[in-house]
Amino acid sequence: MEIDEHIGCAMSGLIADARTLVEHARVETQNHRFSYGEPMTVESTTQALCDLALRFGEGDEESMSRPFGVSLLIAGSDENGPSLYYTDPSGTFWQCNAKAIGSGSEGADSSLQEQYNKDLTLQEAETIALSILKQVMEEKVTPNNVDIARVAPTYHLYTPSEVEAVINRL
Amino acid sequence: MTKQHPAWSPYDNNGGTCVAIAGADYCVIAADTRMSTGYSILTRDYSKICKLADKCVMASSGFQADVKALQKLLAARHLIYQHQHNKQMSCPGMAQLLSNTLYYKRFFPYYSFNVLGGLDNEGKGCVYTYDAVGSYERVGYSSQGSGSTLIMPFLDNQLKSPSPLLLPAQDAVTPLSEAEAVDLVKTCFASATERDIYTANKLEIVVLNKGGIHREYMELRKD
Repeated sequence: MEIDEHIGCAMSGLIADARTLVEHARVETQNHRFSYGEPMTVESTTQALCDLALRFGEGDEESMSRPFGVSLLIAGSDENGPSLYYTDPSGTFWQCNAKAIGSGSEGADSSLQEQYNKDLTLQEAETIALSILKQVMEEKVTPNNVDIARVAPTYHLYTPSEVEAVINRL
Repeated sequence: MTKQHPAWSPYDNNGGTCVAIAGADYCVIAADTRMSTGYSILTRDYSKICKLADKCVMASSGFQADVKALQKLLAARHLIYQHQHNKQMSCPGMAQLLSNTLYYKRFFPYYSFNVLGGLDNEGKGCVYTYDAVGSYERVGYSSQGSGSTLIMPFLDNQLKSPSPLLLPAQDAVTPLSEAEAVDLVKTCFASATERDIYTANKLEIVVLNKGGIHREYMELRKD
C-alpha cells in the first residue's frame, strides 16, 4: 500500500491491524509535510510506525490490549537514496537491502542472500523478486494473484499487464 | 454609542527594522539594535536576529516579548526535530514551521513581523517574508518593521524582485555579489536611520554562506 508519494509498504500477518498502522503512517507523513513543507524520511516514518506498535495504539480509548499482529516492509526513497526497513510487532525495526516476510520467508530469505547484490538494476530486481516468490508460492504465479509495486523514486503499483510483462521474463 | 477603547493593551511596539537579501550562494540578514517604547528608548543594544538552525536565521521586529516567545518555541521545535529526524531543519522547512506557528495564534497573534533568511537545500540563498499571522512567501529580498516603508521601495528600485505573477517563473535570487549586498544593506539602514526615529544606534549584519555564519556591526546615527 502507498504511505506517501515516496514511501510504500508491504504487510504480513493480521492485515486488518496493518491497515491501522498504514493509516497512522499516512497521517504522520502528511502532518510532516504540513509542518515542514518537505517529505518525511523513510527512517522517521518507520520510527513513527514502530512507536505506535510499541504503545499498542494511540490515546486512552483507541489503544488496544494486544500488540499489532503484523510485520511490515517499508520501502521508500528520500534524500539518502532508496532504503528498505523491516518492522515486527515488538516495535523494533531493521534496515535491510533485501528481505522476505510471511509464511515462506525462511526459504525466500536464503534465496535472496544468494541472489542479491547491490548493483542490481530495477529489471533484474523485479525478475529475482518474482522468481523467489514463485518458489515459495503453492499456486502458479499469475497477474491476478501477485502484486508488485516499486518506489523509484515515486510509488507505483503495477497494473496487471505490467505484472504480466515481468512474469513473462521469468 | 461610541466604541469603548480598552485602557490596557496586551501589545506594545518596540520598533526597529529588519532586512534580508538572498544571493546565489549567500544570504544577508540585518537589523538595527534600538529597542523603543512610545517616544522613549529602552536600550540601544538589543539584537533582533536569532539563529534558528545551521542554515536558517530569523530577524523580527514588532513586540519583542512576543518575538522572544516565538524564538524560544521555534528553538524547542528545532531540537525535537533534530532528535526525531537526526538532522538539522532546512530553511524551507523552518519557513513552513514558522508560518504554521504564527497561524496557530490567529486569534491572539504574535505581534511579530518576521523575515527569515538562509540557504535552501541546494545551497542557494533564500529569504521568506511574513505577516503577523503567518502568510509567507519566498522572495529575493525583503524588509519588515518601522523603517520598511522607507527601505522596501529603495530595494525594489535596486533589485527589482521578479513578481510571482510573472511568467515564465523567475528565480527569487538577486544577481549581486556578497560584498555588494552587504554594502546595499548598509546604505539602506543609513538612509532609514535619517528619517525613522525607531531605527538607529547600531546595525547588526549576519551573513550566511557555505563557509558558515559571519556577523559584523556598523555604527548608525544615535539620535
